[in-house]
Amino acid sequence: MTSPTHNPTITPPIAVVAGTTAAATGLITRLADRGHTVGHVDPGTAVDPRASFDAAFDVVAEQIGVPEVVVLAHLDPAAATAGPLIELDPETWDAAGERSIRVALQLLQAAHRHLPDGGRVVVVLPSVATIGVPGLVPMCTAVEAIRVMAKVAARRWGGRGITVNVVLVPLDAFLGEATPAGAAVPSLGLASLGERDALDDAAGLVLMLAGPDGTALTGATLGADAGTVMVP
Amino acid sequence: MTDQTDPEAGPPSPVAPSPVAPSPTELGIGGLLAGRVVLVTGAAAGVGRGVALAAAAAGATVGIGVRRPEGGHAIAAEIEAFGGPPAMVLRGDVTDPAQVVGSVETLVAAHGRLDAVVHNATSNRSSEPVDLETADLDLWHEHADVALTASYRLAVAAHHHLKASGGSYVIMVSPAGIDASGPLGFYSAVKAGQRGFVKALAREWGPDSIRVNGVAPLAVTPALENRFTVDPSMRERLRALIPLGWFGDPAADIGPPTVFLCSDAARYVTGQTLVVSGGRFTAL
Repeated sequence: MTSPTHNPTITPPIAVVAGTTAAATGLITRLADRGHTVGHVDPGTAVDPRASFDAAFDVVAEQIGVPEVVVLAHLDPAAATAGPLIELDPETWDAAGERSIRVALQLLQAAHRHLPDGGRVVVVLPSVATIGVPGLVPMCTAVEAIRVMAKVAARRWGGRGITVNVVLVPLDAFLGEATPAGAAVPSLGLASLGERDALDDAAGLVLMLAGPDGTALTGATLGADAGTVMVP
Repeated sequence: MTDQTDPEAGPPSPVAPSPVAPSPTELGIGGLLAGRVVLVTGAAAGVGRGVALAAAAAGATVGIGVRRPEGGHAIAAEIEAFGGPPAMVLRGDVTDPAQVVGSVETLVAAHGRLDAVVHNATSNRSSEPVDLETADLDLWHEHADVALTASYRLAVAAHHHLKASGGSYVIMVSPAGIDASGPLGFYSAVKAGQRGFVKALAREWGPDSIRVNGVAPLAVTPALENRFTVDPSMRERLRALIPLGWFGDPAADIGPPTVFLCSDAARYVTGQTLVVSGGRFTAL
């Protein structure tokens, strides 16, 4: 596929947000509120995700133009369950953990096929794997796998000028009302900047990464947590 | 190895020659796991073999988890040769849930306890470059099943035994799972997933007095030797990046830190990843 090269200095980015999480819907709203053209890809439960994702990207391109920024903000809904690992049967383990990794892989592959040179990928994830959360072993497993998969993409796609970065948000911001009641996220103290809208902050980081100031940043993990985790 | 005193050998190597690896009984870890029972998966070769030898040298009875018993018997013979406690060869394909449970229960039935599980097994295709952009889910499954899913299977199978002993679960992760390898994308991702698994499970199992840690090794293994065969210049390129100047020996260099994490000497260490790389990775 021949694609135009994304030049963020002259082209307002057209973004696609992939996911069905509160983070995905929240980012769509906040990016649109800032005047940006935003499409949506629903990972759903397609039998053939590759064809489904390609079709979804094509629809977005037809409706609003070729996307220059892809935001992945997805975990399988089954990930939003908390409980002891040893009580999980294999199917639940897969649904709560590994299924999200497979979908992320296929979304990254679709992004690579559809983005122009110089395009941007931002993977938004909950910050749970930074410190580990009891009761959420499958989710922490999936999140860290996806985060490093994004870094692999960053290493590979730099030749096309495509950047891939990760933005971490607190779990309750990522899942919203779907946050499982039993998820005991260990406290790391108060956010330095106080209570803020983490998704609005994440949207700001997405726009920074999508704009000219983000051209040279790839493979990074940024926290939209108002200064809570502060790692490293 | 280059003899740097030989005038015919050319300019000195920019890195130190590899030291001779000590034998298992010379590792200085004797007694650290005396009376303990340790299961090692993927123990037929490479890092798994090295950890099995080191654990036995530290006094542990080792369950040698292998897909094909003949490979395990060779390791058991090595242990017998240096006077380690008799090891037990277990048919333990970690992709087979029944074999995972069977290997754990057989070991406990024979020795009455389980003090540590070291999950080392990884896909035979771990060292093969992957085109992240086009690779299919069948290949992903090959990687994930042996590393990620098996981490879960072993945890479920071993939990009540490790709880009874106040034991340790060690997962062999990789610097690639932190730093991300461009060519080894699937390997990097599954190893990263295991690291997320370690952190969360360490918090979950802390109240059960079970410690969960990761070891990220850089060692000479059959897989790495295969890559050197494909790309002969790779050995020196990589060696020059290691401050200590040599590739780790699985038994002498990776084994003892893993034994430490399995032992009471590490009773206050959990949720960590110990990078054992000769200083190759200092920013992880």
